[in-house]
Amino acid sequence: MNSAPSTIISRFLQSRIVWPLAGLALLLLFNFVFDRAFFEVSTRDGNFYGPMLTVMRLSVVVMLLAMGMTLVIATGGVDLSVGSVMAIVGTLTAFLAVKHHLSFPSLLGVAISVSLAIGVFNGVLISCVGIQPIVVTLIMMVLGRGVALNITGGSPLQVVDSGVLFLGKSFIVGVPVQIFLVVLVFAITVILCRKTAIGLFVEAVGDNETASRLSGVNARGIKVLVYIFSAVCAALAALVSIGDAGSVDPDGLGQMLELDAITAVVVGGTVLTGGRFTLLGSLIGALLIQTLATTLIRQGMDSAYAPVPKALVILVVCLLQSQKFRAQIASLIGNFRKPTS
Amino acid sequence: MLAAAITTFTGCDKKADTQSANPQGGGKKLVVGFSQVGADNDWRVAETKSIRDEAAKRGIELKYDDAKDDMSKQLAAISSFIAQGVDAIILAPKVETGWEPVLKEAKAAKIPVILVDRGIKVSDESLYATLIASDFVAEGKMAADWLAKKTGGKANIIELEGTPGAAPAIDRKKGFADGIAAFPEMKIIAAQSGDFKTAKGKEVTETLLQKHGKDVTAIYAHNDNMALGAIEAIKAAGKKPGQEIIIVSVDAVKAGFESMVKGELNCAVECTPLLGPAAFDAVDMALKGDKFDKKTVVQDRVFDQSSAATELPNRKY
Amino acid sequence: MKQIFTRKNLPILATTFVLVLLFGTFSVLFDNFLSLRVVTDLFASNAHVGVVAIGMTFVILSGGIDLSVGSVVGFTTIFVATLVGKHEVHPVLAILLALLVGSVFGAGMGIFIQVYQLPPFLVTLAGMFFARGMAFVVSKQSLEINHRFYSAVIDAGIPLTDKVILRAPACIFVAVFVVALVLAHFSRFGRNVYAVGGNAASSLLMGVPVGRTRIWIYTLSGFCAALGGVVFTFRTQAGNATNAFGLELDAIAAVVIGGTLLSGGVGYVAGTLMGVLIYGTILTGIRFYGNLDSSWQRMAIGALLLVFIVIQRLLTRAPAREASH
Repeated sequence: MNSAPSTIISRFLQSRIVWPLAGLALLLLFNFVFDRAFFEVSTRDGNFYGPMLTVMRLSVVVMLLAMGMTLVIATGGVDLSVGSVMAIVGTLTAFLAVKHHLSFPSLLGVAISVSLAIGVFNGVLISCVGIQPIVVTLIMMVLGRGVALNITGGSPLQVVDSGVLFLGKSFIVGVPVQIFLVVLVFAITVILCRKTAIGLFVEAVGDNETASRLSGVNARGIKVLVYIFSAVCAALAALVSIGDAGSVDPDGLGQMLELDAITAVVVGGTVLTGGRFTLLGSLIGALLIQTLATTLIRQGMDSAYAPVPKALVILVVCLLQSQKFRAQIASLIGNFRKPTS
Repeated sequence: MLAAAITTFTGCDKKADTQSANPQGGGKKLVVGFSQVGADNDWRVAETKSIRDEAAKRGIELKYDDAKDDMSKQLAAISSFIAQGVDAIILAPKVETGWEPVLKEAKAAKIPVILVDRGIKVSDESLYATLIASDFVAEGKMAADWLAKKTGGKANIIELEGTPGAAPAIDRKKGFADGIAAFPEMKIIAAQSGDFKTAKGKEVTETLLQKHGKDVTAIYAHNDNMALGAIEAIKAAGKKPGQEIIIVSVDAVKAGFESMVKGELNCAVECTPLLGPAAFDAVDMALKGDKFDKKTVVQDRVFDQSSAATELPNRKY
Repeated sequence: MKQIFTRKNLPILATTFVLVLLFGTFSVLFDNFLSLRVVTDLFASNAHVGVVAIGMTFVILSGGIDLSVGSVVGFTTIFVATLVGKHEVHPVLAILLALLVGSVFGAGMGIFIQVYQLPPFLVTLAGMFFARGMAFVVSKQSLEINHRFYSAVIDAGIPLTDKVILRAPACIFVAVFVVALVLAHFSRFGRNVYAVGGNAASSLLMGVPVGRTRIWIYTLSGFCAALGGVVFTFRTQAGNATNAFGLELDAIAAVVIGGTLLSGGVGYVAGTLMGVLIYGTILTGIRFYGNLDSSWQRMAIGALLLVFIVIQRLLTRAPAREASH
């Protein structure tokens, strides 16, 4: 609290989130130069409206997934099932609302319990039976998509529940509701991880499972817990996503989002092999991915070729995180400066 | 030991061959294999249901395989149908090219192949019995014609494309471009892929509406799912879908009709997925050795808000 | 015989047992399943996945991952088709060029990973997007390959019986498998791969050329992906930029089902073959049953995989626990 500003800055520069932030800043700079309208914010009916807000609103789904994924990855695992969990929860809640007129609290209850069950299923197979996380969650990904298709036979459904629509479409003091949701989940997660020992245990399991177990950490319990958390985050992401879209399509909902979520986590500075993690970094990673997608659409990039610039941006963000690359750039700039000075 | 195993193998093989040699011998139940691309939207779900229902109605045993959007799994499915000694194969091909080798195998095994919903490119037309299809290019053109009439040949259009490289996306784009070519004041001001998905359709439309603002007067979507997403985006932008921005899409599934009845979607060009009866008629004729047309184009209709309400009760999909 | 049944070989034996059990079950359940034709189909239909998965095995053994393979397969098919169809390059030359491009692409990713110490996941993810985009740049339209050479290769094959022929894709798959087996277990490169995956820091101290090995591994994976693409063209006689979308996941699944640990250092090339065949057998079984709708097909794949993975896991775990007591 009483540290001088200079140490705050140097601590910031040493933290992991500085490089994903730099990547995001570069993207925003590009838009600032070539597409100033990107930053326009207007108010409509008292609500803020504009490209930046849309980017934030759209990145909420991946942000929620990425928070769950961060803890899973910190334990040295991975969760490929999040997209399918979204599909199951989204289709099931929409179906129950249409056919059985369930109220929002009961829909929320269903969403949480279904995701809880899937999380337990993943977690137990991984920690107690000892099957590799990627295998278990891949199976869940295929199986879960089947379950989601089975609920309606594959047909899309309208979202009729006002609570779900509120999550996806409404505003509080002019700001989209889902942004508050993501802040809330983030705050709770950070408090749980940093104010209790859970965060330390997660890192310990990811660093060295055997050692952590010998030193008294309930490694199995921790693992089950992170897969439950990941599934619950996916359930929330599903409600936000279907509320926003106004309808559910069981085959499309959440498809390939596991990849976006993992990317957000890794871009954000958490290492895939487990150990130390940064939740804030993952949120920035998610924001970066959505900013990039929106930028490409606004630039009128042909959708077929869009993967190429996407690849280049990922590579640049990657390189920014590499100490060696930064040293090379620094020396290049140094060489460039010498003759002029 | 090994020799014995091989004899068992070949023994089984012979059984498979004799089965396929006399398809209708001894009043045995007819077996037909159906290789479907996937279950990626309700149009495809409806097509699958139509074929499965028709098979059940005719007392035909259907071997159904969903390739989960992977062409190589379709090839594997056809090989597997041949190995099972089915009497005929129905194929809904994912893409136009790449079927020649596997269809040669089917031909060698004397199993007729009926193509549904899109054509393929092969050097030898005898590789398949017939094609029962919608004309995707014509659908795009019908959408363009309707829009031209509605707007008096003046429109700034956002085009929501299907998945890059997908046959309907390529053809519906081409047909639409051909259709508006005659109207110099109809312009596509932005074209982006929405991957045939609702959420992506919404995301793309929302961003493009912010970018192009008041200029946009019409949206053309390659399927209903994306159009439904676009409608949500238009509402979020504070505009009235169907009035301030005209929306036309292809497929005309039930959800599209409901939207037209609500006055939001303006027009949907039908692409009928109910190909089951025609497909099994073709199977019958192919097995009897009858001569029949190489290509049957399914007649597609155009529906708009004026005709939607009367048609809605008839929509099964 | 005794030496085969050691504890070191237990996981691979368990995986083989699972495959036999699976195949046996389906043979009992379905007519015509137990036939040479189904076995050759299994190899032919999964040849491109198999070739790619074998390359992936080395990457995963080294503790890395390669997400770019599916896109490289797609790129290769359209690249070869365009060279042959539009530029009238002889197919053999086109194929050699494609293999070169794939290898160089893999080497490039390996260099980024090694030199800048970047996470393989992100570098190969960038590679995945890049290769897919470039495939569309080459041609958005799919293209058939009309050339005598292709027709000849597709018609050629090793006749096993008068009806069943082992075609080029299956032959390439088997050949790649044999070469990879030798490379993994009987060459210095193979030992280095295991060492890098086991512990890169200590292998560096022991004089293992970690950097060079890692770059070669990604080069090999890029080569295998391009070869997978070539195999794909032998099955389809066409190129398409959308081909093999999502194949990377199938390949990774085959590797890990085969008992290779995602964390590196532990695994088997032979296991990958089993993994490919287990997955393929499940799909074939579902096709033979033939009466599941789309949703139940997905659920059945998941459930069958789950059951057999649990069996595999229990088989390897029980004796290991005994030994530790």
